Amino acid sequence: MKNITINVNSKITLLILLIMMMGFASCEKSLEVIPKAQISDVSIWNSKSNADLFLNNIYKDLPDVTVWRQGTSAEDPEENFSDNSMNGVDWRNSRTIYAKSIYTPSDYINHWFWYSSIRNCNLFIEKVTASSLDDTWKKGRLTEVRFLRALFYQMLWIHYGGVPIITNVLDRYTQGDAIFYARNTSDEVFKFITDELAAIIPDLPIKPETGRASLGAALALKGWCELFQASPLKNPANDKSRWALAAATNQNVMDLGVYSLFPDLPTLFFSENKNSVETIFAKGHVAGTALGGLAIHELQVPYVRGLYSGNGEETPTQELVDEYAMANGLPITDPASGYDPQNPYLNREKRFYQTVIYNGSVWREDTIWTWVGSGSKNTLDLANNSETSNTGYFLRKGLDVRLAVNWYQTNGADYIIFRYAEILLNYAEAKNEASGPDPSIYDAINKVRARSGLTGLPSGLSQDQMRVAIRRERRVELAFEEKRWLDLLRWKIAEEKLNGSLHAMEITKVNGHFVYTVIPAPGGERLFYPKNYVLPIPQSAMDQNTKLVQNPGY
Amino acid sequence: MKEFFLSVFSIRKKSKILLYLNLIVILLVSLTFNLSAAGFGEGKSNPIDNPQKVMVKGTVTDANTGEPLIGVNVVAVGTTIGTTTDALGKYSLEVPNTSVSLQFSFIGYLAQEVAVGGQTTLNVALTSDVAQLSEVVVVGYGTQKKTSITAAVSTLEVKKIATTPIANLNNGLGGRLAGVIFRQNSGEPGKDAAAIYIRGISSIGSTKPLVVVDGIPRDFKDLDPNSIETITVLKDAAAVAPYGVAGANGVLLITTKRGKTGAPLLTYNGYVGFQNPTILPKYVNAYQYATLRNAASLNEGNPPRFSAYALQKYKDGSNPDAYANSDAVAELMQKNTLLTSHNIEVSGGTDRIKYYGSIGYLDEAGIWKPTHQKRYNLDLKLDAQVTKTTKASFAINGRQQKNTYPAIGTDRIFELMQYALPIYPVRFSNGLNAAYPYGSIYSSGYSNVNTSQILTQLSVEQEIPFIKGLSLKGTVAYDPTVNLYKTWITPVHLWSIDTTKTPYQYIDGIFGQNKSSLTQSISNATQLTFQASLNYNRKLGNNNIGVLILFESKTNNYLNFAASRINYNLDLDELDLGSSSLADISNSGSSSEEKQMGLVYRATYDYNSKYLFEASGRYDGSYYFAPGHRFGFFPAFSVGWRLSEENFIKQNFSWIDNLKIRGSYGESGALAGSPFQYLSTYKVFGPAYVIGGNVTQGITPNIEGNPNITWERAKKSDIGLEATLWKGLLNIEADYFYEKRSNMLVSPNVVVPKEYGISLSQANAGIMKNQGIEFSVSSFYRISKDFEVTLGGNFTYAKNTLLQVFETATTYDNPNRRLTGRPLGSQFGFESLGFFQLSDFDASGNLKSGIAVQPWGTVHPGDIRYKDINGDGNINNDDITQIGDAQTPQIIYGISPNVRYKGFSLDLLFQGAAKASLYGNSGAFFNNMNVLVDDMNYWTPENTNALNPRITNSPALNNTQTSSFWLRNGAYLRLKSATFSYTVPSNITQKLKIQNIRIFVSGQNLITWTKLRNYDPEIVYTWGGLNYPQQKVVSIGLNVTF
Repeated sequence: MKNITINVNSKITLLILLIMMMGFASCEKSLEVIPKAQISDVSIWNSKSNADLFLNNIYKDLPDVTVWRQGTSAEDPEENFSDNSMNGVDWRNSRTIYAKSIYTPSDYINHWFWYSSIRNCNLFIEKVTASSLDDTWKKGRLTEVRFLRALFYQMLWIHYGGVPIITNVLDRYTQGDAIFYARNTSDEVFKFITDELAAIIPDLPIKPETGRASLGAALALKGWCELFQASPLKNPANDKSRWALAAATNQNVMDLGVYSLFPDLPTLFFSENKNSVETIFAKGHVAGTALGGLAIHELQVPYVRGLYSGNGEETPTQELVDEYAMANGLPITDPASGYDPQNPYLNREKRFYQTVIYNGSVWREDTIWTWVGSGSKNTLDLANNSETSNTGYFLRKGLDVRLAVNWYQTNGADYIIFRYAEILLNYAEAKNEASGPDPSIYDAINKVRARSGLTGLPSGLSQDQMRVAIRRERRVELAFEEKRWLDLLRWKIAEEKLNGSLHAMEITKVNGHFVYTVIPAPGGERLFYPKNYVLPIPQSAMDQNTKLVQNPGY
Repeated sequence: MKEFFLSVFSIRKKSKILLYLNLIVILLVSLTFNLSAAGFGEGKSNPIDNPQKVMVKGTVTDANTGEPLIGVNVVAVGTTIGTTTDALGKYSLEVPNTSVSLQFSFIGYLAQEVAVGGQTTLNVALTSDVAQLSEVVVVGYGTQKKTSITAAVSTLEVKKIATTPIANLNNGLGGRLAGVIFRQNSGEPGKDAAAIYIRGISSIGSTKPLVVVDGIPRDFKDLDPNSIETITVLKDAAAVAPYGVAGANGVLLITTKRGKTGAPLLTYNGYVGFQNPTILPKYVNAYQYATLRNAASLNEGNPPRFSAYALQKYKDGSNPDAYANSDAVAELMQKNTLLTSHNIEVSGGTDRIKYYGSIGYLDEAGIWKPTHQKRYNLDLKLDAQVTKTTKASFAINGRQQKNTYPAIGTDRIFELMQYALPIYPVRFSNGLNAAYPYGSIYSSGYSNVNTSQILTQLSVEQEIPFIKGLSLKGTVAYDPTVNLYKTWITPVHLWSIDTTKTPYQYIDGIFGQNKSSLTQSISNATQLTFQASLNYNRKLGNNNIGVLILFESKTNNYLNFAASRINYNLDLDELDLGSSSLADISNSGSSSEEKQMGLVYRATYDYNSKYLFEASGRYDGSYYFAPGHRFGFFPAFSVGWRLSEENFIKQNFSWIDNLKIRGSYGESGALAGSPFQYLSTYKVFGPAYVIGGNVTQGITPNIEGNPNITWERAKKSDIGLEATLWKGLLNIEADYFYEKRSNMLVSPNVVVPKEYGISLSQANAGIMKNQGIEFSVSSFYRISKDFEVTLGGNFTYAKNTLLQVFETATTYDNPNRRLTGRPLGSQFGFESLGFFQLSDFDASGNLKSGIAVQPWGTVHPGDIRYKDINGDGNINNDDITQIGDAQTPQIIYGISPNVRYKGFSLDLLFQGAAKASLYGNSGAFFNNMNVLVDDMNYWTPENTNALNPRITNSPALNNTQTSSFWLRNGAYLRLKSATFSYTVPSNITQKLKIQNIRIFVSGQNLITWTKLRNYDPEIVYTWGGLNYPQQKVVSIGLNVTF
């Protein structure tokens, strides 16, 4: 038996030695682990489909109300910085910081992230240009990327003015100190954007796959930038040729003949009408995926059938409500309009009812009461301390009642970046400024009015009267589409419109009748200083590049 | 056996895993083979064959007190015969012949061997081992005698904490061990593990210590405390060097119980505890809330929000549905929730086979019903002396754990709870749900986690007969863990009230998704660890030599798979019963792998147990890095000098039982960041963008790669002193430590403009030091044989300093804001000068000249005034300065007095922390959240020295700036645990045929002394400040040994 024991022992010994030996064998190699879901440089740029995925990643960064449009949060769109809207929630940035114009370089709006998208564009251009992929494909995709890059620069330009123009991939190893760029001037950035667009426009298709850059999108972007450049903010000497240029480019879009006004304005923003004849460029959403659109509860009436179901984060102001014409097409300021301040919601134009929820409106089969003393939780927030409206109004436009409340990503509607109505209004404005009223202007603006059932503008308007009419039309037509704040800036009227108080409609019941009083909106005080026409360069960017010079006043 | 070797060779081409599995089988088979072979070979112990058997009886007592000792192991040397003493210290044992010797051994006493000779009664008095001369301490990959150790190591006998009502072992360490800094920031079942920092924080990266259970890297927090023998903390380089790249943050070694020679022992341990939150914020009632709102409106020049009528209604509570006075915290959190633990263990054995088995059950209720934890632990061990030279050990430790939570996340519920204002009911008088948190807790569905884990381990140790002192050991451990997650989200119904109708109408509504949805996922993790070692221990005259060489490899595999469906038409929580629309169905999955291997060595030498030397280290490799950068060498050296062994001490200072000084220096490593940072790659993700109406994938660039990326390197030094004086009356262990951690991952020290557009890969450029002292003192005094007093205390102070980190010029060039030279986590902000007072304004209400301008809007009396540090007349970022310490305390201490009188025993643990700063909430109506009672103490012209600034309907931007105004001292002292127990006298238990009965009352987190108001000092502040509270537990328990 002893023999067996020794035998077994020596076998165990051997076994352990063997285990140790095997352990040492090929150490380096046995530590090799292939990371999954990672792709190398080589494989991306040698394949059209892989490079396309990289391009999708650039498209992903397109501005959108749900994500980036306002650089802060989906709940507090840029519209709330304007005189069209107030956030019903009193602690949002638009109320606490932007209303008082007390933002500093360290504060919330920071659009500098666009440089990340711009880098991706530059990388794509560099790599694809150098690749051996076929030239037709290359040309098409490079054109798209240059469009996107121009669009991203536009976002920087309209918010900051001059910014560094970077068109190559910065590389700290090979470029040394050359990676630090000073700011270009505002004019240089404008020229860069419009030159780029002019260069690619001949190569862009009129009807690409939906979601991709089109000829119309590039023209619309170019026309918008030219309009911005012609506006008083950038054109203090009122150089008429700038207006003429903007008018011409917008007319180019009209001349394409592929866009027209969608007949039903309210449903234009719903998922069933995506890619309508009016849509020039939109960021796509697909319901039920991570690319679902804005959840509507953030913006809708707080209490529906008594239940808390929204935040009321965009509420129309009395200022906006007063801009809506009467059904007869006359502004309420016109003595002949028939406007009755004690029955202010009677016989207004269609777009009013399509945009605004007011006292007695029906929303989700519930009548919304805002009058003081109604007992409803939607009552005008006189004490300025609940989440309900401080103006007496709620938003209706763009909100689809068929969508569930408080449930994300079920909205399949696209976010429209450019639509045809804006082109018509851009054209009308630019043309009027360039050379005064003419039939083409009447034609453009009346198309927009006619779609909403309004009569045409009276003939014989002076240039100034026409300007007033166009601005009113633009404000009403494009309300809650993140255009108003930028319009206030470029028209240089923010100082006038945003100093003082926004207004609310206080409704009380006296002897069974509603009595309407326009009052300063609780918490609606606004301040705007001349420096605020551009945002401060973010401190984080200033810290890392000493060549950057801050905008004056910050 | 031949076939087995063949199979080993033939599978070389197959995967490693298969190979290892085969090896397990081989080892198992060889073990069985050896067992049977050995059993066959040695049948001497059969009493029938031996006519000379003798019955020996006796009593074992304490040599000092004469008290009988219970549970002493009595073994006939060289045989498998053994027993233990009973409750009266008595034993009886049949021995094969009179020539054998009996060995008496007992923890804390010096073992004795007595020859039987012709005697049939052997009474033995054991001497207590005051100097712990024979105490053996677990160290990395082995054990060492406490007296000859040259590294900084502390051990906790878990027996002390097994009866305290804690569900998670992590939370039993605070204040018990010198060198352990910790912070438990939640009390939520299953998510309440304290963060443990050994010797504080020494890195800006991960600070997690390595946890090793029975020699294998594993987590320990969910093991049954009853099945654990000791927890050892390895602190200095000499102690952690064998763990190489995993050791820099210190190591916790957990040793679980194993069988001991002796008669079978069956023990029951159990308790029932009642849990309540330690500290909860005190919120205002409805009347106070309404009054405060009106005061705010008045301040802003707005009309009051609440009418006098409403105020009266809130006050008298006569119409609770329309004018509620609710307290969501009180109404939603249950009181006296139960924490129950039961454990049964059996152990025993002979010289040849020892066994241990334990079954544990833990049931922990949450503060609300849907939150619950149940845990079953099973522990089985078998140790066999297979042949005279072969030992085999086998262990299975299984865990089945079920955690349930509401479908809505806990953080979200606490956030919602802060929006549950007292003026709205939690439930209407008819019982209908009226508040979000109520529905989120009770009717949102559920989120379950089921964890099954098995830790298996097999090792075989073989002494090499032809080289004395040499042995080989092989260990294979395979630990599979499976987590099953199931989340069923149902629409939350929420009723609202229409007070315009009479009677009031209650309207049903849905909060959140309209239809139910289900997500199920599986995550599977396996770890295969594999160790082979060579051990040599030899005493040659006065020279003691020890050598260990060990190879270890570890492979981890992870796999996730998830499937979900939304829009259930039928409210049945099965995937198959969900919507069949493709748009409602989704799935996801991923997998990853980790590999590590190392070669460990340790050489010890001592001369006459007086002069001690040790060298240890590891050559370690990890998959993290680029080829060529995967291996690193981490050595350590240590020396010790036992002065108490010198004659001049022995002769002149007889009161010194043990005195040792020791020192160590070495290097160890830490993995930082994430694997594959050496690669510059792109990541695929989806969905990215919609093209042609379809969602598409995208590819996004990762950060710039850094091919040179490598591990953090820690250089650790330690000087320590150990002393035992006056026969155990005073035990001291003190250490000074210094660590310099380099190669920490930081943003590279190059400034690129923000316009660069991509994040730079990190570089190994960060350096920080961490130094401190720690000591533990214990004193034992026996007043009489019935009356003993023990006092223990420990203290740890660890302070780190950043020596080199990435900073922009903005902070670096400003000495007030510079991070370099300050402890990690130091808090920065404006320095508050208190409030602007009326006297700071002129008659027209403008700030007087000379007062610095603050940029966040017009200031009013009662707003916070900040210090203009640079004196430029403006408050801006240049005025930011350090306003406080880090959140994690620099000082942790524990004081543990223990008194025993006859059968009564009282054990207390006071645990405290100091040098920590916590950032508080920022004033009333922040984000329209609920209001604290403290918020009613706000600035008014009459109350200029208030707790809070002037009241407004949302905090003024000026007052929410990060500033010292809101910073609080995080120091605290708490009665962490207390146990009062009574051991039933042995004359009673004897009659019941029971060895031992002990009844105890125990408590956890009983009393807390802190300056902090409303929040537990360990809870991390999140948005708004409310979080799952720490629990105060009071329990009663029973401990019976049969």
